[in-house]
Amino acid sequence: MTSALGRVVATERRPNTPHEFHFWTALDSPVGIGTIVRVEGTHPVEGQLPQIYGIVVEGFSYTDLQSPLHDVLGHDGSPDSASLSPTERAEIRLYTAAVLRQLPEEPLQPVPMGRVFLATNDDVSVALRMDGYLKEGARTGIPIGIYRAGGTDAPIYLDADFLLGPEAAHLNITGVSGLATKTSAVEWLLQSIFTHFPPHKGSVAAVCFNVKGPDLCFLDKEGTIEKADRDLYEKLGVPAEPFQRVKYYAPYKADGLSINTLRSNEELSGNVHPLTWGLREVLQYAEVLLNKDDVDAKADALIDFIKERVLDQDFTDPKLARPHRVQSFADLEAWFKDVLRSLEKADDQTWRTHHVATIRKVRNRLSNISTRCAGLVTDAGTVSDLPFGSFEDRTVYVIDVAGLEEDAQDLIFARVVSRLREHLERRDLGVNHVVVFVDELNKYAPGDGPDTYVRKMLLDISERGRYLGLVLFGAQQFRSQVHRRVVGNAGTALFGRMDGDELATPGYAVLSLATRTKLATLEKGQLMVRHPHFTQPVFVRFPRPAVMRGRDGAERWPQASDVDFDHAILRTLRVLDPSISLQWVQDVIGIHEESDVVRARNHTLQTRPSDVKAFFRSQLPSLAPKAKVAPRPMSTAIRGTPFDDPYGEGR
Amino acid sequence: MPHYSSETQDASFRTAVRQLKAALGSVAHIQDAPGTIEQLSRSEEAPRTVAARSLEGPTLAARTVGGSYEPRFVAFLDGVQQSRVVTYIDGAPIVHGTAAAVVRERSDRRLRTWAHRIEHRLYAPKRHLPAAVWATLAPFAPTDSSAHDADEPAPSRHPLATLDRAMRMVQQHREDLEQRLAERWCVDGVGPVYIDGGISGSERVARARCAIGVVKSHRTLYAEGDGLTILFRLRQGQRSTLFAIEPSRRTPVASWYLRLRDATGRDPSFGLVRVEIAHDTPSELGERADEVSRWLLAEATPLALPDSRWDRMAYGIRDSEEFLRAIT
Repeated sequence: MTSALGRVVATERRPNTPHEFHFWTALDSPVGIGTIVRVEGTHPVEGQLPQIYGIVVEGFSYTDLQSPLHDVLGHDGSPDSASLSPTERAEIRLYTAAVLRQLPEEPLQPVPMGRVFLATNDDVSVALRMDGYLKEGARTGIPIGIYRAGGTDAPIYLDADFLLGPEAAHLNITGVSGLATKTSAVEWLLQSIFTHFPPHKGSVAAVCFNVKGPDLCFLDKEGTIEKADRDLYEKLGVPAEPFQRVKYYAPYKADGLSINTLRSNEELSGNVHPLTWGLREVLQYAEVLLNKDDVDAKADALIDFIKERVLDQDFTDPKLARPHRVQSFADLEAWFKDVLRSLEKADDQTWRTHHVATIRKVRNRLSNISTRCAGLVTDAGTVSDLPFGSFEDRTVYVIDVAGLEEDAQDLIFARVVSRLREHLERRDLGVNHVVVFVDELNKYAPGDGPDTYVRKMLLDISERGRYLGLVLFGAQQFRSQVHRRVVGNAGTALFGRMDGDELATPGYAVLSLATRTKLATLEKGQLMVRHPHFTQPVFVRFPRPAVMRGRDGAERWPQASDVDFDHAILRTLRVLDPSISLQWVQDVIGIHEESDVVRARNHTLQTRPSDVKAFFRSQLPSLAPKAKVAPRPMSTAIRGTPFDDPYGEGR
Repeated sequence: MPHYSSETQDASFRTAVRQLKAALGSVAHIQDAPGTIEQLSRSEEAPRTVAARSLEGPTLAARTVGGSYEPRFVAFLDGVQQSRVVTYIDGAPIVHGTAAAVVRERSDRRLRTWAHRIEHRLYAPKRHLPAAVWATLAPFAPTDSSAHDADEPAPSRHPLATLDRAMRMVQQHREDLEQRLAERWCVDGVGPVYIDGGISGSERVARARCAIGVVKSHRTLYAEGDGLTILFRLRQGQRSTLFAIEPSRRTPVASWYLRLRDATGRDPSFGLVRVEIAHDTPSELGERADEVSRWLLAEATPLALPDSRWDRMAYGIRDSEEFLRAIT
């Protein structure tokens, strides 16, 4: 039987309630903010001795000193002489705890007097209601970290039904930038989910948007972790290893030659894939890039016309110079030119009810897109996309958008998430659940500002995604700046070290001052967790992710330097066939146009044929062969004109 | 049968009230007492000066306590009392008295309870109560607050006089508890014990080298004439020479006055205590007084504020009183 570490106290000025109680401890007790304790009542309620579980939210210490001046007087104003006093003043350590759970649960009564004990592992499980979802045969627990206090090391589990749906879903994590808390926590949690996701719930994959830096670029490489972290992994039953299956996607750079990613070193290119879209893919989400000022009802009507009547089909119009089959931005530009030329020729202001000003505006906006999203959008219309329809279980798909303009990032985000949603609705994505990790959520779903497509999409996911298996893991530094419905619909919230100004915002008023102070000083590797089952937030420690840190990876595998055209083609083809040489490339591409070579390369990368050389060669347009010039046949002499011909040369 | 001479909470004042009300029925009109008799009564013995036989030199003189002050007390002993009127019957007060004492042992600068005792008694003036009422009170084993020695006049029936007698009995009860605990320390404890009050009441304690009695109140001053002047002029860190306290029915002890704090601008008794120790070998008494004085001067901090007697009270005694207040 463990000894009590405290006793419940209550006075008229400081009474206990069903939700809060006070207790005092010895001076050397291992109680602190966030410690979970158990109270044993002494008088049975409905035949059962009450047990109350609480978490410490505030602590006080005072002595019998009535005024600080008395202490000054007692030591003649010399702080050093205090240590010479033969007796220390009587001191109390008084704590306030918020109730986590009461047993029996009814009737709900104020916490009774009784002894206070440090919670054991079993107590923690009961206190946080984890016993409900950790039963053998029906476990849905996902470890989030270790609760540690006074010798107790208890694993804390989230309920998968409330983390990934359907009961609740979505996770939101807040923390100051620069401490890698948010990214590390998500990396760790994904590893935990991949390990512990219950088999009866099906398969799960993750899609991560790398918006800045190289932090997510080396998830498949082993990082250095210390023994203390290894011990945590062991306690939580998660292997301390990097992700086994990771695939990277990124658009090309503007020149279309190299992929725009920090993971561009040749040694790592085996699982790096280009992300490119054509005209159709972009036009579907044109409103992401075009704001209300750009697109009024008239422009919107023209864009719809293009999507429905012009794109990917033979289009003819008596006023146009020729038929068009628009499949790329280049084709679209040619079509616009033809329409405008026809208007000029006819000296007309309207073509098929669309005013020339509207046509010019839409042309201008759409052609801007290919410029603004150069590398992502190809003139040739080549599409290289995530493997929608064949997502693999326990795989992380990282989309590196760090090197892109904001518009391109928004476009990628909107399209990828929309496609995920569509496939999940049809249940043909390849997996049953997808976790989408988005950093800088305050940028994509701000609480104020104009209503954007991306924000509307995030709201939709937050409010309806859990029924589809589409789960949002959002991260931000300032939670108060994110749309309320997005954070409000996140069933689970994690908090790393917080900014002081952020903690002063009204959203944190429900936390005690001591808890907020602790949040402002959390170390790396510590989190405060809010989860539907937990009546109060809990502090846990999580292990450092077993993946290589971004800067370590960038150092070990530096970015590939820009090379000339031939080398760029060689580099990408070698990923498919290491036997390809520079000489072979140079011989094959010869005097072909660069655009043709790039198109051929893109098709080859997309198709991944078994015979790479043959396929690549077949994708290049054939050059006209040198025909042998036959000797010109001798022509018969032209009969001369008669002498007397008035038109003859003799005259 | 009510159980009154133990540390149980059942014998508390409220329990006594309930039980007496049940026993006495309509005879007694029991009301909430406004406070303890100690709080309400201001009756004290008349102040006086008494000549004492000097043990160190021909007359009372001042001595400066030399050397460095070192805290050597291992324990502190003190007691408290509470007397409350339960009811009046034909003007005769029935008083519930609580006496408590504690020894707080100091270890690593922290005080812990070594032993404590709480006892409750009922006091009723048999002489002034109807016989039937006294018979009803018999199960409560009351102490007769009208009892007197044969050579004393019969006590007055004045309620205040009866209250005074009851209060003195409670006081005596307290002193008995203190002495019992002090005797226990002298047998089982290790090290000097700071006892609040005199030590002459118990022979064993009065002769024990470990017991140091410290008296804070000065209704009786053991000096006269020039001796008083010497006394009032004692400065911080000075003591008077030793003298003998030889009460008729108590064990003689050696005593001296010690000034604990600077009394400049204060009343004459500010920081002044009277110390009692065993009347040891006379040749060693002076050294012993200096040694004990150094111990006492070392207990100047922490201050015993907010107690009004802080200038004369060691923190260990305040702590003891706080402990007893918490449990009584």
